[in-house]
Amino acid sequence: MSAKSIRPNRDSVTTIRDDGSRLFLHPADAHGRFTALRRWSGWVLIAIYLALPWIPVGGHPAVFLDIAHRRFHLFGLTLAFQDAWLLFFGITGLGFSLFFITALLGRVWCGWACPQTVFLEHVYRRIERWLEGDAVARRRLDAAPWDTTKVIRRGFKQVVFFGVSAVIAHLFLAYYVSIPELWTMMHSAPGEHWSAFVFVFVFTAILYFNFAWFREQLCLIICPYGRLQSVLIDDHSMVIGYDEKRGEPRGKAGTPDAGACVDCNRCVQVCPTGIDIRQGLQIECIGCAACIDACDTVMDKLGRDRGLVRYDSQTGLGGGKTRWLRPRTLVYAVLMLVGATVATWAATTVRPAALAVTRMVGAPYYLADDGVRNQFMVRLVNKTDAPARFVVTVEAGGQPLTQTGFNQVVELAPLAEQVQPLILQVARADYAGPFTFRVHVTDEAGTYALDREAEFTGPHRSLLGIKSEASQ
Amino acid sequence: MKNDKNAHIPPDTDGTPIREHVFDGIAEYDKRLPNWWLLTFYGAIVFAIVYWMADQHFPHGNDQTRVAGELQRIEAAKLESADANLDDATLWKMSRNPVFVDAGREVYNTNCAACHLVSLRGKSEMATAIGPDLTDNEWLYGTGKPLDLLATVNHGTAKGMPAWGPVLGAKKVSQSVAYVLNHHKEPAE
Repeated sequence: MSAKSIRPNRDSVTTIRDDGSRLFLHPADAHGRFTALRRWSGWVLIAIYLALPWIPVGGHPAVFLDIAHRRFHLFGLTLAFQDAWLLFFGITGLGFSLFFITALLGRVWCGWACPQTVFLEHVYRRIERWLEGDAVARRRLDAAPWDTTKVIRRGFKQVVFFGVSAVIAHLFLAYYVSIPELWTMMHSAPGEHWSAFVFVFVFTAILYFNFAWFREQLCLIICPYGRLQSVLIDDHSMVIGYDEKRGEPRGKAGTPDAGACVDCNRCVQVCPTGIDIRQGLQIECIGCAACIDACDTVMDKLGRDRGLVRYDSQTGLGGGKTRWLRPRTLVYAVLMLVGATVATWAATTVRPAALAVTRMVGAPYYLADDGVRNQFMVRLVNKTDAPARFVVTVEAGGQPLTQTGFNQVVELAPLAEQVQPLILQVARADYAGPFTFRVHVTDEAGTYALDREAEFTGPHRSLLGIKSEASQ
Repeated sequence: MKNDKNAHIPPDTDGTPIREHVFDGIAEYDKRLPNWWLLTFYGAIVFAIVYWMADQHFPHGNDQTRVAGELQRIEAAKLESADANLDDATLWKMSRNPVFVDAGREVYNTNCAACHLVSLRGKSEMATAIGPDLTDNEWLYGTGKPLDLLATVNHGTAKGMPAWGPVLGAKKVSQSVAYVLNHHKEPAE
């Protein structure tokens, strides 16, 4: 199976043969500015993925999704389960950002930042390149009979792949249990934390399968974002394309009337999804820019201008002028701004405590000898992991009333919650009918406040047998 | 064909059959699915059969028996903790057990002290208090027998004492009753 045998067409997927079997691609090495830049950005991204559970921000790791304690630490912001509603705004904000970026810049996410691409291109494929040589050598090894050398070389590669997958799986687990806890778990027997052990084992197996064998099939057939992008882009979105007007008709260097493309097939050989970019924009293209570098290298050698394959819009490639400002980008930008604004506002409403006021079961109010009585249950939750002291007061807008319960500071252990009765009574002489009041909670230092409004119910004043001469 | 950007692409010549349906002039090749994809499909069928057999035909119990078993387990747990097993003697015994009394004090101070005061003396100590004195031997409901107290706490009263049974659960209710009884003398037989 030589490189020449790969003749992509737009009617079938290159990596699936006619009999349904998989054609395992061995993309050739590309060299050039985008390859270099992508390698740098890839390593920076990997460094960020690895660093997030290590860097402490405000006493917790920068990202620590503490499932066991139901606390989510994000860059110094601590969210409790009660704040799960924020997820809605976070996810819609992220979604609209992706819409906007896709409409403007096409599949830059896929080619530059998606973990699938980053780990595959910059970790697994580098290891493969290092152990088995370039594309030609790898294809030769593929075709070679299964002798001892091949078994050892292939086996060693798979062992290394599995090891790398295990490391990534462990670091992924660190996002959920934190580094110190991960370290403790790694030191103790699997039986002491079965769920974590099984999780890491299954996750390692999935990563190994994905990066050692499945690879581009994920982007082509499984990834929903890849498919979704077809409807997010238009003719003015930036994509990677082939300048057909300049390139066609193809011909060897020196052929009269031939275009700039010499049909060297380098762009096909370097493609990690096995397409021919010269056949136009295709759903398989993940925007990795390898074909740009491959073509530029050839053009440099021929002394021709670069950019036969380049980042441009469909309109730009056809000779038109790309419009960056268009209804689509504007609408997506507005949606993104709305999402970001609402998400930011929502995050500022997060308080380190939660408060709920509910009426006690039984009658809505009681008529005692000395007044009208309403009974409530007040639930206080300390969402922080330090003990907290709360001051609970009732504000009734000047309405005289007697408060029973919460007469002193409430002390709550870390993450604890308490439900306590709050009894309000209005003396018969002071009673003027139902009214609303506010339950007000602050921490002892007064750094934040929570308010809940509730209704004090009771009969009409006249039913208490109080003469209406006092009424206004 | 002048405007067809991809006119240079050779048509598929491998003789792949084309499906019969056509939508708006768009036809569909009849290509073979990827083998790995077919494997997940056949795997799902095999799993469905195995699951169906294991669940319906060689069950460790079908849904009904499992639900019935689970209900029995819940019932047993309820009986174990419920007041069904409680009688006056047991509650008196609890009221002299420091573990119960300490737990009861906590429940009482959180939930009951708002009306009956931390001292349990309610209106006797402070005229504006809402609840009556729990340390004297005058009872508004029942005769002061432990089970009467338990019933009052569980079901509440018409004058405003809420039904604490569903709020606190049987265990905490009996603990709080034990704490109140701790302030009383067990009558000699």
